[in-house]
Amino acid sequence: MTDNLLLTTTVGSFGKPDYLTKARGQAARGKLSTAELEELERKATAEWIRRQEDIGLDVLVDGEMYRGDMVAYFAERLEGFKIGGLVRSYGNRYYHKPVIAGKVSRPKPMTVSWFEYAQSLTSKPVKGMLTGPYTLLDWSYNEAYPTRRDAVLALAEIVRDEARDLERAGAKYIQIDEPAIHARPEEIEIAIEAMGIVTAGLSAKTISHICYGDFAAIYPQVLDLPVDQLDLAMANYGYRWLDLFDRNPFTKELAIGIVDVHAHTTETVDEAAEGIRKGLRYVPAAKLWPHPDCGLKTRTVEESVEKCVAVIEATKVVRKELAKVPA
Amino acid sequence: MKTTVIGAYPKIGDGPEAQELRRALHRHDRGEISDPELGKVFDDVTRTAIGEIEAAGVDVTNDGQIRWDDLLSPFARAWSGVEPGPLERFYDNNTYFRQPVIDGRIVTDGRSLVRDYTFAAGVAKTTLKAAIPGPLTFATLAARDEQYGSLEERVLAIADATAREIAGLKAAGATMIDIEDPAVAAWPKYIELAREAYRRLADPDLALTLVTYFFPADSVLESLASFPVAAVAIDVRSRETTAFDRLDAFRTQLVLLGVVDARNTRLESADEVARYAERALKLVPQERLVLATTTSLEYLPRDVARAKLTALVEGARLVTGEKVPA
Repeated sequence: MTDNLLLTTTVGSFGKPDYLTKARGQAARGKLSTAELEELERKATAEWIRRQEDIGLDVLVDGEMYRGDMVAYFAERLEGFKIGGLVRSYGNRYYHKPVIAGKVSRPKPMTVSWFEYAQSLTSKPVKGMLTGPYTLLDWSYNEAYPTRRDAVLALAEIVRDEARDLERAGAKYIQIDEPAIHARPEEIEIAIEAMGIVTAGLSAKTISHICYGDFAAIYPQVLDLPVDQLDLAMANYGYRWLDLFDRNPFTKELAIGIVDVHAHTTETVDEAAEGIRKGLRYVPAAKLWPHPDCGLKTRTVEESVEKCVAVIEATKVVRKELAKVPA
Repeated sequence: MKTTVIGAYPKIGDGPEAQELRRALHRHDRGEISDPELGKVFDDVTRTAIGEIEAAGVDVTNDGQIRWDDLLSPFARAWSGVEPGPLERFYDNNTYFRQPVIDGRIVTDGRSLVRDYTFAAGVAKTTLKAAIPGPLTFATLAARDEQYGSLEERVLAIADATAREIAGLKAAGATMIDIEDPAVAAWPKYIELAREAYRRLADPDLALTLVTYFFPADSVLESLASFPVAAVAIDVRSRETTAFDRLDAFRTQLVLLGVVDARNTRLESADEVARYAERALKLVPQERLVLATTTSLEYLPRDVARAKLTALVEGARLVTGEKVPA
């Protein structure tokens, strides 16, 4: 039986449908009410839950139809933050980089109602999706706390409270993304300490997504990050991070990125399957989760679907191969 | 006390009137405007950037790198043997760049920056400097290299291409050129390789500045003092550094001290800037000290960038007892 091997999932975000992109623009210009926008966000969320079921993914996400970006969404809902001016991330893409202007606190849960809504639409598990304290700090300007560590630890308490609320709401999987964790490798201990605060006492499976940066600079120390599963971009890097596992064996579950999310074209099933086979050299199938490298929000709906289908088809191929191997 | 900027200036501001370039790039992507029409917008925004830097009272400006997507891509596109490759974060910033992919012998006619420099020279009223990425940074950020057998070969090939660009800028009238090379501070183990590269760039008629940022230059400070460059830029704000106590290592070169943090919105007061300058003046004479931003102001929203430049200039004027304009 290979159905529980190579469970498939995604990193969190999907392409937004055109009607929602347009509506978000209208809402930003004050031409659409918050309630009207939310109605469309719920519609898009429901569409993505259905698509994920149709595609055959095992563990679902809400698709983040209600988020612009993974830091600003939280910053807009936390006290102590203000939303800063526009800065460029790449090319012609800009974002409002948040500013930590005072002591941070959480007036109320930020993601729980979206989790509950998404979970109500499916019998498959939906992940609770949070941004980790180190990334919240690193992708914001810090005007308030004397040191980066002070700010990260304050944010850790907020993320912990949100994670506990998600667990109380029924989340069996809680993902706390730390894509900035290797921004300053000398600060990895701060990120680990902060994640310890977030995940202490949780019984849900905990996951952390890490992408785009020098993973080698934090390996093997990152194995001390107190989560059950690390979720890594691999296809974009030609799977070179796997070589690190030769010297220092990988000890957690691994969600392995097998399709590059920044390319318009999708890998062939053969290419994606080969990615899984590479992962299997280091991590057993029960602990290896095929998925796309990163969130798919920069892709269109059609491209997002195509990338997920490639993950599923590649996984089927490798599951069949595993079934042929005598136990 | 002279002041200068480093790197790129914000390409857009927050108000709709300051987002002309963003709109033009979208329209260009959709085929609604031509290359020359987009080029005119790039020129207009370059004029705005230089104007804002000069209006703040900065002594030495650059062109704001308005046409550059990132530090390396303009050259990865212009040079034969290199292509812009996969996206990656630029050091410890949530800002991306395209990693160069080297698939052949690197060749350039040395004219990649001539058009932009000539345009900016026609706009700038104050002293204008050019900028180019450093060889060690370009080489260590490459995603792949199918041409050169070692890092050393790659660095020196890039240094030769950089030298041609420097010669092209010189022919276009440039006398001051920043060589942005954060890898020199990030990778102390390659300092002698970097020195060899800079030997190939040196020109007695040009004032070259080796610009480091993001990382403390502590472990290479004394080495940098003997590089064949007229000036060295050091970021004293991004991380803890011992540089303040060791600036006397620089006996002949100018020191561009990055005192205004271009990666945090917290605004320095003029007093704070002046205090940094006074610390440095204990070890470097005023005629060899230049106050600067730590790195590109493009890591900040444009209104904050402007405010930072004002703080920089007012701080410098406090040190020299000049009247700060109301």
